Amino acid sequence: MNILSRLKSWEGFLATALIVIIVANTMLSPQFLTFSNQINLFQLSIEKIIVALVMTLIIINGEIDLSVGSMMGLAACSFGFLFANGVPAGLACMIVMVIGVIGGALNGYFIARVGLPSLVVTLATLIGFRGLARVLVEDRGITDFPDWFDALGQQGLIGQLPLSIILFFLLFGLFYVVLQRSGFGRKTYLIGNNRDVADFAGIDTARHKMVLFVASGAISALAGLLFAARVGAVRGDVASGFELDIITMVLLGGVSIFGGSGSLWGTLLAVLIVLNLRNGMALLNITGHIQTGVIGVLLIASVIAPRINLGGLLAAVTRSEGKGT
Amino acid sequence: MKSTKTLGLLAALMMSGASLANAQTALEGGQEADMVLLPKFLGILVFDQANEGAQEAHAELGNPGELLFVGPTPENSVAGQIEIMTTAATQGQGAVMLSNNAGDQIAPSAVAAQEAGTRVVTWDSPIPGGEGEDVFVAQVDFGSIGTVMADMAHSILGGEGQMAVLSATPDAANQNAWIASMQEALKGDKYANIELVDIVYGDDQAEVSYNRALSLVDQYPDLGVIMSPTTVGIQASAKAMQDEGLCDQVKVSGLGLPSEMVSYTMNGCAPEFALWDFRDLGYLTYYTAYGLATGQLTGDIGESFSAGRMGDFAIEEDPGRPGSKRILMGPFTVYTSENVEAAAQ
Repeated sequence: MNILSRLKSWEGFLATALIVIIVANTMLSPQFLTFSNQINLFQLSIEKIIVALVMTLIIINGEIDLSVGSMMGLAACSFGFLFANGVPAGLACMIVMVIGVIGGALNGYFIARVGLPSLVVTLATLIGFRGLARVLVEDRGITDFPDWFDALGQQGLIGQLPLSIILFFLLFGLFYVVLQRSGFGRKTYLIGNNRDVADFAGIDTARHKMVLFVASGAISALAGLLFAARVGAVRGDVASGFELDIITMVLLGGVSIFGGSGSLWGTLLAVLIVLNLRNGMALLNITGHIQTGVIGVLLIASVIAPRINLGGLLAAVTRSEGKGT
Repeated sequence: MKSTKTLGLLAALMMSGASLANAQTALEGGQEADMVLLPKFLGILVFDQANEGAQEAHAELGNPGELLFVGPTPENSVAGQIEIMTTAATQGQGAVMLSNNAGDQIAPSAVAAQEAGTRVVTWDSPIPGGEGEDVFVAQVDFGSIGTVMADMAHSILGGEGQMAVLSATPDAANQNAWIASMQEALKGDKYANIELVDIVYGDDQAEVSYNRALSLVDQYPDLGVIMSPTTVGIQASAKAMQDEGLCDQVKVSGLGLPSEMVSYTMNGCAPEFALWDFRDLGYLTYYTAYGLATGQLTGDIGESFSAGRMGDFAIEEDPGRPGSKRILMGPFTVYTSENVEAAAQ
């Protein structure tokens, strides 16, 4: 495979864009390549990018989970509520993970067993989980968690690498094997392409979707705990709106919103692009509105680009160049 | 050149003595410090005004460094503030001036910024636990607001008459505290002939507040003043009275923005209202942060300094947040037809 044909794939395009962004950041900001900035770059969005991994599988499977941000909030607030009521932090973490599994199973039940559209079900739980989170902590912030809990979110676990970044790469490895190297992964693509065919082929599609939504609930709960540890406090609005950023990253990674195509590499590249772009713009003191606008343009481009046949365009350019010489 | 140096040394000596004797530190301009003004989010008039005040102080002090006004978008306020705080530390900014919207969630990043040598001064809204914060520049003493509102009612009513309160929502903690402090103030002899007849809630929505104001007038024919301690409520009430031609009978007062209230003040519907000046708040915050970032202030309790046109201020313990420090800007600015037009510019 030569360089040009690699470029033609969406992943190739993303990789090129990422390199351009990193080079530009390095040239424009002396602080960009420092180790602590690179850690911060991941840390500031770490919970979102962890959830983006499982969201990739959900969307490839032809579904969507809008409730992830609210589940993160519910997890963080449940932790705060339990802790404030005297439950030891370690036990509270375990209870929160169970809440994540139950929340995910609730989504899964209505989507996979009852057969309701995931857009509707998870929109309902987006509101429901958030409401529950707000009821739990009311209009106050809960803080003063144990030192070990805050330290896990804020300090390095191995050297300067914090737990959450290590978890992200471990989970990336795990999901990579599951999605791209296992039967489960192949079924995920097949169901996303055509559920009826998958059903006829004897795949238990309902069970498959159930597993994915439970995983989504559990990973979101984990991300909510990581958020609580990183900021050392929780409030009813924790992680609200995160679902849109997460879905944006996955779609930018070339995962089709209609299911059936995309890859975890694409998501990783998109995550790195968004993180580096945001960090670079922040270091250049570009304000929030413009940052959001730039990410928005990127997403629009990612939706349009496959339709204008980037590969064909590139090929046409090379052909005409070939004629010229 | 030499004499200025000697003078500076002398000033430094006086300063070290001064902190013991509790005298004023005169802040010396011209020293370089990069500053970041970080509002709750962008697109709100009062934050733009605070920025104007900070820019004024920045120019006045001749700081060769940069003053940045960067903020998150409203829907990304909490995560955005944390991100900007973290970036400021990475960039090695001299000080971040924060109107906190993230509660205690900002604390770890603020602590990290302090550890990186960036001073953190809050204004408008502090870090609740005080962690990661050098000092809070408080616009007013929240307890004093009751007296200010009682006095405005007294002056509008000529010492005698009926008053009703139009608040935001029933569970807004600051509103309830302010109303309670006004009820406390009304117990004084001076206000013996002022009767508080009702407290209603307009949910901080213009239309609801508008209708509540009109039903108050229907309900209490002798009502003399509607007191609304919210910028939404006061504007809606004034508009309601103006639209119905009731301004001769019922006046409106409370907390409002000069730019939104100027026409009602000039036509007599809302002859007096109060608010703190956000330009002043930005100006004083800048002076404080500049003093800290250039090492001219240490940020200890008892330290005092002069902040340009606004005069002298002292760092004290925050009565509302034990263990934290504040600088009290106060008092309120009361706006009348005399000064409202200038403030509305």
